[in-house]
Amino acid sequence: MTLASHPAAILAVTQLIAVAWITPVAGAILGASILAPLIALWFLKLRRKRRVVSSTLLWTRSLADLRANAPFQRIRFSWLLLLQILAVLAIAFAVAQPEAEGLGSAGGRHVLMIDRSASMNTVEKTDDAGKALDEPRTRLALAKDAAKARVRELLGGGWFSSRASDVMIVAFGLRAEIRAPFTDSIASLEAAIDAIEPTDEVTKLGEAIELARAFTTNLNLNDARGEENNTTSGPLPTLELYSDGRIADLGQFALREGEGIVYHRVGRTATNVAIVGISADRPPEQPDRIQVFAALVNPEPVEKKVTLQLAVNSAVRVITPEPITIPAAKDERGSFTPGRAQAVFRPIEQRENAAIEVAIVEDDALRDDDAAIAVVPPARRLSVLLVSGGSFLLRTLLEGLPSERFTTVSLGEYEAMVEGGTAASWDVVVFDGVAPKALPSGRYLSFGPPPPVEGLTAFGSHEGVYPRVVRDEHPLFRSASLDELSISKMVAVQPDKRFMVLAEAPEGPLIVTLDRSDMHLVYVAFDPLDSSWPFRRSFVNFVANAIDHLGRAGDSVIGRTLVPGEAIAMRLPAGSRDAEITLPDQSTKKVVVDNDGNLSWGPVALVGLYRIGFLEPGSTERQERLVAVNIGDANEARIAPRDSLDLGTTTVQGVSVGESRRGALWPWILGLGLLIVLSEWWYYQRQIRA
Amino acid sequence: MSTPKPLRKLDDLLDSRLMAKLDSVDVVSRKIFSGKMQGERRSKRRGQSVEFADFRPYVHGDDLRFVDWNIFGRLDRLFLKMFLEEEDLSLIIAVDTSASMRVGSPDTFDYARRVAMALAYIGLVNQHRVSLVGFAADKIERASNMRGRRKAAEIAQWLLKLEPEGGSGFEPAMRLVGTSRQGKGVMVVLSDFLFPEGFEKGLSMVAGRGFDLFALQVLAPQVVDPSREGGISGDLLLVDSETGVETEVTVTPELLKIYKERLDRLCGGLRAYCARRDIVHMVVESSTPVETLMLEYLRRRGLLR
Repeated sequence: MTLASHPAAILAVTQLIAVAWITPVAGAILGASILAPLIALWFLKLRRKRRVVSSTLLWTRSLADLRANAPFQRIRFSWLLLLQILAVLAIAFAVAQPEAEGLGSAGGRHVLMIDRSASMNTVEKTDDAGKALDEPRTRLALAKDAAKARVRELLGGGWFSSRASDVMIVAFGLRAEIRAPFTDSIASLEAAIDAIEPTDEVTKLGEAIELARAFTTNLNLNDARGEENNTTSGPLPTLELYSDGRIADLGQFALREGEGIVYHRVGRTATNVAIVGISADRPPEQPDRIQVFAALVNPEPVEKKVTLQLAVNSAVRVITPEPITIPAAKDERGSFTPGRAQAVFRPIEQRENAAIEVAIVEDDALRDDDAAIAVVPPARRLSVLLVSGGSFLLRTLLEGLPSERFTTVSLGEYEAMVEGGTAASWDVVVFDGVAPKALPSGRYLSFGPPPPVEGLTAFGSHEGVYPRVVRDEHPLFRSASLDELSISKMVAVQPDKRFMVLAEAPEGPLIVTLDRSDMHLVYVAFDPLDSSWPFRRSFVNFVANAIDHLGRAGDSVIGRTLVPGEAIAMRLPAGSRDAEITLPDQSTKKVVVDNDGNLSWGPVALVGLYRIGFLEPGSTERQERLVAVNIGDANEARIAPRDSLDLGTTTVQGVSVGESRRGALWPWILGLGLLIVLSEWWYYQRQIRA
Repeated sequence: MSTPKPLRKLDDLLDSRLMAKLDSVDVVSRKIFSGKMQGERRSKRRGQSVEFADFRPYVHGDDLRFVDWNIFGRLDRLFLKMFLEEEDLSLIIAVDTSASMRVGSPDTFDYARRVAMALAYIGLVNQHRVSLVGFAADKIERASNMRGRRKAAEIAQWLLKLEPEGGSGFEPAMRLVGTSRQGKGVMVVLSDFLFPEGFEKGLSMVAGRGFDLFALQVLAPQVVDPSREGGISGDLLLVDSETGVETEVTVTPELLKIYKERLDRLCGGLRAYCARRDIVHMVVESSTPVETLMLEYLRRRGLLR
């Protein structure tokens, strides 16, 4: 590919060649004050006596021409004059202190916008030229160094410099923050840059740009029409972006007229594989186990093989026996599609309140997206409503189970609650020997009369039956065997296919369940008092299992996962106190919990597991809630830096931070000037010795 | 620098006092050539002269005038006396008439003409065949095959008519002399040898072609040392007398040192070249009295005796 065939390359070269001058007046004065007399000296004529000699073969042309005693002569070409002019010009140019225009000229206002998103945590082992760094550094660290160097360039001034710059620092990820308002203090700007911490947020530039514009645009409040007029009082600032260019909202804004942006491209590495999703489910046949799924992406154009491990509370439980192959990414006609793969782990048995982490074993440049955490929430205390015909058995039993709320109402009261809309606030409703007229959405445990549910038909009763468990692996029968149970009377029902029969007698189904999206029901087709069940431990266990099973039915197996940039918000038991949050780096922060138990903290910056510890009212035992934060963004996983940014109709070519750190050009030009002076001296010596 | 007094007559070229001294001087050739006419030069051939060489028995037809009758009286046998035959010597004097010779004080060209006159006079007095060549660019003048003292005035007139002008023309002149059938003998070149094109080609035309060659490099004292009185100093516009090329110089000790180095290089180069080709090279300042040159230096170098 030739340079001419690549407009972006031409633009980059043009930007690099274009030069801005810090002290052009000083350079011009110096150049003019030396150049004019120098050339005038060459115009002056040396009055010489004419003398005929036999031959001038033996004479060399005298170069002692600097002495003049008669004006003027026609100027003649002389290499010495040319070299002297070049030397003076070079020194004058050096005094003018040129800088490459591509870096933005000194003077004026500059907004340095530093990307601190997840992809900026990519570890670089080489610089932009491919030379190994002394120690691996993150892109953010490289960007901060480059930004500090830029601040020194802009504010370091120079000899005779009178053009001060004002610099503002903006750090951005998902959100943007002004870390330093416009100032010319190098110390405060460097301190602000140093204080920028890495985050795992996605990159959104829009807010940063709007923030910068808000600080640099003046509203003309004196406009007679009273309309907002976004005219500025001076030239627009130069926006200088330090980023790898992986910006999610890049196509959503364009540069304004007169607005300039310099894209300092950071980074070189492209090697990365990411886990962008984690989920869990309970297999229908093993409802007491959790099956974990992970989604992987490969943003590179080559196929990748990775090994995954699954850890529960930091203890490794499963490692994939064979590497998982992730196909190569496709980038066709500007449409980029990363390679995707799914990983499915064998079900594991896991109780509540645990952190499940899926991680890629192999190393790559960006570690933060190599793991994803899911939290299995703790057992929730349920609110249970008993609708009873007056039986003491279930009321006594349910009163003994731990619950958040427990109330016994009559059927009439319940139906009034249904009409009033308050019945839905109960997690589980238990019907003890009664059946309502209608069954709204909810979760129900019903004994005796069949509830009015479509698909369940009662057609009489049977007496003297012996049950048999059909699905003994079901969680309802955990420690709840029906062996040797005798039932004196049961309701004869006929469930349709939507019901699942868990236990049956030869005469018909005894215990059935219904799991619909709007309703979860466990129906026991006999009154416990008509059986020997109340005298068995299995009855208590069954009821407890049923309440627990129904209480969680429809709930996600894992809690909601946050992404960096979101805030942790949760409700602890009312009156909880001494809450503190332990960050992934094991540092702790105190958090305030209001009287209702509401807690809010954030936004979270880094991925990982956040542990919120607290004391429940009247308890001295610390409770813990877990919150998982994952990147989960395929765009951030694509860490190969962009060469250019398309901002509306403008393409901004990136300048690598290695190049942008070349700094001022004047030392090179001054060196060139000295070289020319030496050449002139050498040429003069050669002339007079020839 | 004073304007030289123009040479107008023979006496200006060669005064009678020096003429008298030169009467007893002859040109010596390191080589012996066979001449064309009987002269005063010893020849390889036996012939008529006063210098005895050998005897040989008389054979029929010999000239009876050369029979040694004293031996016949003592031995009663006829022997013929053999004498070295004396033949003439070709003396060629080449004078540089380029403009570069008209410099210095004393004038280099006048000095060269005086030396040429003195040499020619020696040749004429000794019955040698004297030829003169004046050479400059596109201009070669010749005065050939003059012999006998009475030709001195004619040679003087020829020399007085020469005017230095133009470039050197050394190579064409030497080619002409070298290819001339009469061009054997002793040849003396009087020149400053400041030829832009170099002297090598010109000398190569005559070197090794039977000439006993003498290169007299005549230089003005101001050329040898420009810092001498009458030399150059200060800021000058030097004009090349032959080419008219102008060169600006500011004379400094450094520059003079460089000039002398270059002159030494030129003379050293000429000397080395001549030594390689059996040519006698000699630098003569025009301030050197002609008498001293003729009677001392040239004798010492073997041209005269």
